[in-house]
Amino acid sequence: MNEEQKQKYKQKYDQAKQNGVKFWPDIIYKDLLVSFAFFILLIGLAAFVGVAIEPKADPSDSTYVPRPEWYFLFLFEFLKFVPGKIEWMGTFVLPVIGVLVLFALPFLDRNPLRHWKNRLTGVSIMGVVVLGMVGLTIRSVITTPKNEEGFVANTPAGKMILGGELYGIYCVECHGPDGEGGVIAGVEGMEGVELKPISSRDEMYTRSDETLGAIIEYGQQDLGMPPFGLAYGGELKKSELDAMVFFMRYTWDDRAELPADAASAGAIPNLAENEIPSYEVHISKIIQRYCISCHRPGKENNNYLMGTYQEILTTGDNAANNLLAGDMTSYLIQAINGESIFDESGEEIIQQMPPTKLMKEEYISIFENWVLNGMPETAADAEVLTVEVTAEE
Amino acid sequence: MAENVFSWLDERLGLKAIYDTILDRKVPKVNWWFTLGSASLFLGIMQGITGMLLSVYYVPTPDHAYDSITFIMTGVQFGWLIRGIHHWGASLLILTAFIHMLRVFFYGAYKYPREFTWITGVGLLISALGMGFTGYLLPWNQRSYWATTVGSEIAGTVPWVGDFILRTLRGGTNLSALTLSRFFSLHIWIFPAIILATVGTHLYLVIRLGISHIPDKDS
Repeated sequence: MNEEQKQKYKQKYDQAKQNGVKFWPDIIYKDLLVSFAFFILLIGLAAFVGVAIEPKADPSDSTYVPRPEWYFLFLFEFLKFVPGKIEWMGTFVLPVIGVLVLFALPFLDRNPLRHWKNRLTGVSIMGVVVLGMVGLTIRSVITTPKNEEGFVANTPAGKMILGGELYGIYCVECHGPDGEGGVIAGVEGMEGVELKPISSRDEMYTRSDETLGAIIEYGQQDLGMPPFGLAYGGELKKSELDAMVFFMRYTWDDRAELPADAASAGAIPNLAENEIPSYEVHISKIIQRYCISCHRPGKENNNYLMGTYQEILTTGDNAANNLLAGDMTSYLIQAINGESIFDESGEEIIQQMPPTKLMKEEYISIFENWVLNGMPETAADAEVLTVEVTAEE
Repeated sequence: MAENVFSWLDERLGLKAIYDTILDRKVPKVNWWFTLGSASLFLGIMQGITGMLLSVYYVPTPDHAYDSITFIMTGVQFGWLIRGIHHWGASLLILTAFIHMLRVFFYGAYKYPREFTWITGVGLLISALGMGFTGYLLPWNQRSYWATTVGSEIAGTVPWVGDFILRTLRGGTNLSALTLSRFFSLHIWIFPAIILATVGTHLYLVIRLGISHIPDKDS
């Protein structure tokens, strides 16, 4: 810009000022209004949309699809179009050129005119760039696969439930439902091995959460305990290991105290007087703790799976006799009462269940009560039965 | 009484002079798009305030970062609000600043005599992106961990010095406690200091030169 053009601009600007307004209050008032609208918007977003809950960082879980903050997505997407050999062109050279051009814009654009009609080249270049950024961002959002939205346990109650379930699946077959240990029965490769308790004071008072987590993650491979963490070839993510340790700590350590609502969250519910148990509320919870560790696919269990209501009624080599409504000779009822089942040739086909130690009296009677009353699936089904029974009385 | 207090303060602080030079001056008549600069400033101040409040409970270590944020969200009175505003404010700030920049571009306001204002503005936009990149890691969740892993890998592809940049960002070959404390320090000290100084310059220039006017057809 030469001196003459500068003078001309100054003249025009002075005139615009003459015809203008006062900074205070005219401009400030508009600014405050817009800022206040943004403030309300922010509170609305925080209150009604909130911040999505994500699982804790887990370096061993590389299945996670990385995605940057949305305003970097266009760059991320752009890199997909850059061939690997010249990747550094896309990651370094072009962004640096872009930033430098942006910085130097006032010196690169020598056109003294300001109205967009007189700067069509510049305005169109900027338009194309912005449209490209928006387009790439949209493309990235559409093409990036979603991460599985697993249950994120980050409240005490959530951790107790998740940890209890995982303990039931992975630990009970060897360590027992209450971490009591003892001689292992019915586990391939570990038959007859005696385990010390893991729920004792000795254990709980001398092992930190970190140690417990490391033991589950890496295993105690020389002693026969396999690794369970993803990092060492197991199936469990860091957040799942955390939940298990949380469950163990708050169930067994007598120094740890949990808020009442969280403590009851994962517990097996008690049966009220005259209440008829249902699969949904009671049986599934007991199975989760005492049975599922062996009665799941891939274990030695006479093909008897106990994952769902349908499975416990219809699977297994002895499906015809496992559970019969109202019949106390159902194999399952006999087994949990400590009786073995023999076939015609006198060979034992089912041993007592659980094989190492029978369940508490209380749980056995919940099972019996449930079978006697026709094995209702949902709490509502059981409710109907309860009403009928009370009416008959 | 109030008059006396004012004149006592004015004599020492020069309040009247400040009022005359900053508030009581003529500026061109402009439209609503011109409010986005001050809106960015407002959002920046909100980020500063909520950020300071978050730092009361936040612990920048891999062992405690995630749990400290869970605690802010569930255990601290209005913690969810403070975190929510900080989270959404970051996105809104980037968006507002970007549209503000497009407005400046569209009206040719980066030209004489406001070239330097533009340069400080670009610096602010890049610092804000830096704040976004470093702040993204702090919750130490899966999303932030893997985004930062990939983000720093991208920095690692720079020819010759890439490996050095990657190690400097991460504080080693992998993401670790060092990475988190480096990002935290960048996020709460280094970038804010740069931004504070640049915003100061930017505002000084806006007041000294006056806001630009909307150009007419033959200018």
